[in-house]
Amino acid sequence: MFGNRSHKITIENELYERLEKAAQVAGHASTEEFILHILETTAPPSSSADSEEEVRKRLQGLGYLE
Amino acid sequence: MNTDFVTVVSGLPRSGTSLMMQMIHACGVEVVADGQRIADADNPRGYLEFEAVKKLKNDSSWVASATGKAVKAISMLLFDLPASQNYRVIFMEREMDEILASQKEMLKRRGTLNDQSPSDDVMRKFFQSHLDKVKTWLAGQSNFRVLYVDYNAIMAGDDQGIREVCNFLGPMVNAEGMMQAIDAGLYRNRKPASSS
Repeated sequence: MFGNRSHKITIENELYERLEKAAQVAGHASTEEFILHILETTAPPSSSADSEEEVRKRLQGLGYLE
Repeated sequence: MNTDFVTVVSGLPRSGTSLMMQMIHACGVEVVADGQRIADADNPRGYLEFEAVKKLKNDSSWVASATGKAVKAISMLLFDLPASQNYRVIFMEREMDEILASQKEMLKRRGTLNDQSPSDDVMRKFFQSHLDKVKTWLAGQSNFRVLYVDYNAIMAGDDQGIREVCNFLGPMVNAEGMMQAIDAGLYRNRKPASSS
């Protein structure tokens, strides 16, 4: 999920329980998945160059680009 | 096909470009394909691709000979088509969740899915940004005409898109032949009916 480098954060119980409930309501498979979803959708977008590079890598992986 | 343009079937990978190529081919339109990428589980009826498309940036000399024919080129390669030709682009659009799911299956089968691949949420944003850029660029090209085709609508039985493709390409293409080319067995990763 985090690529080849992962980072741990500490979340206090009260907040974690709220997130746990929200994850269930939203239909996520796990609380971790829900938290990652929130982080990814609220974090500032990557630069245009990063975005294009990732698209290029994906297309190469699929065999549509050399 | 007696035309003065190159037909280009485009879009993101797994957006229905191969199916559209099959449909056009079934109507008698000659396709530019070399058979190098053979049919597999991801595209049981074949890809109808032309390897040289991937090298467009370095060599576009073959494009003029594709006039009157159809060639598949994913959206990122449209920028590399030479300005000397006229193009009619059939741009396939499909629900992004389905595209991502289908791509992931294909990456797994090819053994190219790795832990460093961005999540679906991130790739969705990246692809959307890419599509916005491509569409803006296409709108500014006087030698391009573009038809956006809703893959999901076609597969849901809506014939409007097929009729539009026929009108777009001209009288040599008939809607009946195109509809016969639709093979429901090719449509996987469909959302459960209850979620639509």
